[in-house]
Amino acid sequence: MAEASAQNDENHKKAAHGLRLVSRSTHLKEAGLRNLFLLCAFVAVLGVALIFLFVGWRGWSIFSTYGVGAFLGGAEWDPIDGIYGILPLIYGSLVVMGGALALGTPLAVGTAIFLSEIASPRVRSIVRPAVELLAGIPSVIFGFFGLLILRPFIASTSGGLGFGAATAWIILAIMIVPTIATLTEDALGSIQPGIREASYAMGATTWQTVYKVLVPAAKIGIIDAIILGMGRAIGETMAVLMVVGNAPVFPDSVTDPIATLTTQIVIDMPYATGDHRTALFGMAIILFIVSMGLVAAVRLISRLQSAMEANR
Amino acid sequence: MLVLPSRSRRNGLRELSGRRALGLSAVTLTVLVSLAFAAVGCSSSGASSAEIIVTGSTTILPIAEIAAEDFTDQHPGTRVLVSGVGSSAGIESVTRGSSDIGTSSRDLKPAEEELGLIDTPIAIDSIAVIVHPSNPVDALTSEQVRQIFSGEITNWSEVGGEDREIGLVNRDEASGTREAFHKIVMGDSKFDRSAAVLPGTGQVRSVVANAEIAVGYISLGFATSDVKVLAIDGVVPTPETVRSGEYPIQRTLHFFTDGEPTGLALEYIDFILSEEVQEGVVRDAGFLPIPREGD
Repeated sequence: MAEASAQNDENHKKAAHGLRLVSRSTHLKEAGLRNLFLLCAFVAVLGVALIFLFVGWRGWSIFSTYGVGAFLGGAEWDPIDGIYGILPLIYGSLVVMGGALALGTPLAVGTAIFLSEIASPRVRSIVRPAVELLAGIPSVIFGFFGLLILRPFIASTSGGLGFGAATAWIILAIMIVPTIATLTEDALGSIQPGIREASYAMGATTWQTVYKVLVPAAKIGIIDAIILGMGRAIGETMAVLMVVGNAPVFPDSVTDPIATLTTQIVIDMPYATGDHRTALFGMAIILFIVSMGLVAAVRLISRLQSAMEANR
Repeated sequence: MLVLPSRSRRNGLRELSGRRALGLSAVTLTVLVSLAFAAVGCSSSGASSAEIIVTGSTTILPIAEIAAEDFTDQHPGTRVLVSGVGSSAGIESVTRGSSDIGTSSRDLKPAEEELGLIDTPIAIDSIAVIVHPSNPVDALTSEQVRQIFSGEITNWSEVGGEDREIGLVNRDEASGTREAFHKIVMGDSKFDRSAAVLPGTGQVRSVVANAEIAVGYISLGFATSDVKVLAIDGVVPTPETVRSGEYPIQRTLHFFTDGEPTGLALEYIDFILSEEVQEGVVRDAGFLPIPREGD
């Protein structure tokens, strides 16, 4: 055992010096593995590129045939009559995502702070697996929960059918909690212990430490967590489909049916042909651009903020 | 030649369960045409006339397909190829001779009536308008139903109910039930686009069963005691009123053949009309059996 590790160290040293004094088979194995991992990374990048190209290829013509303004700015979605205005769907996607983030972020960050700063190891050992389990629940189960339990409750509260943005907010808020909470907890955990100890040593209470020291220090990590939660919220389809009611209109209230880009694609795809199908791919392009734009914008903000802090 | 049909059936034709697989229908028709030639070639050589092609309505697909499986189990050596490409395509293909039986969930159009097709009604599909059991409204006229689903009437008090908003529940546009309902009830009117759109009969029923303001429509076979089925134009849909034609929102499902059916096609149609299939497969699929002669 000791001999083997000594041998390893020896190999590492030789490799580090650029000497190819390992056996030929080891050298081949190393080169093979390097290429294998390169291939793994390449497949992921290629996958994104191919999907983008495919969606773009199938969908771009809607912008030229139907018109960018009419497609993006049209307030009516009526494919049977050849009317493809997706403004209500973009509006629906943003409303559903925004509300879910507004509800889910405080819940998730609160969970993370509790797990990282307050909970005893015993409590943590129960709560953390529960949160992680939440991430593993298939979205169709959330949809069922929303449809059969939450929707009737909202229906009796609002006097409507219970389909609408409000129902989707609650379901999505629960769904994005594990994403945001896990990453926020990681961010809090990666703060140097000295910072936390210094705060307590100054006589700060737990709340003061969390609010004034830890959250600001982990800000970038928390923003990253929110970006991922955002991505999940805007892309989530199945659970949303089951609770929003799928009416491609601007609803009068948050408890009236609404549709999002993703749900409309699922509803229409089975029978769409011709321009209608192209329009669905056009919506996929918009989804792509919206999520890329969100990620870029938030990253830019976090970069600006860290630059400002560095200047301070 | 003998392998191809069964492969097409498993991989190609049976996957056409989407309501309007228009893009695929051309491909399917090409396959069917080649199969028909194959069948003709085989029968002329006397090797196998034990194969029929049934194509058309996707609504009828569940009946035709399950019945075909039972039929071939009972008649070893025969083969029934079933595909769903839409009623119009089914009528066209039987007219052109590329299939033995064309299935359709609509009646023949005037132009099609001159083609000399023989109509065998195989089942009746009726659509029930359903509300929550606590809703005081028991009956509507078809005009009121049209106004409700087009958004002209938005409050239950306008049709004799409580002063509450109407919660419209509609099906998705791929649904055959929606298509039939639109054709029979809506005429030239459009559905109100702010209605909740649900992708399944079961979901419509479950939502209407739970929301006091809701109104929706489903195939009568799927209506349970969880929901209240409304009388339309004074007629409550029951097997009797549907059968007599009094209940207005109904349609007949047809098998069309080019001339009187013969041979295996006749045997298959007789099997579909047998009590075993009518009371079993047809009812299980949510449809009503066709009235039997002498009933």
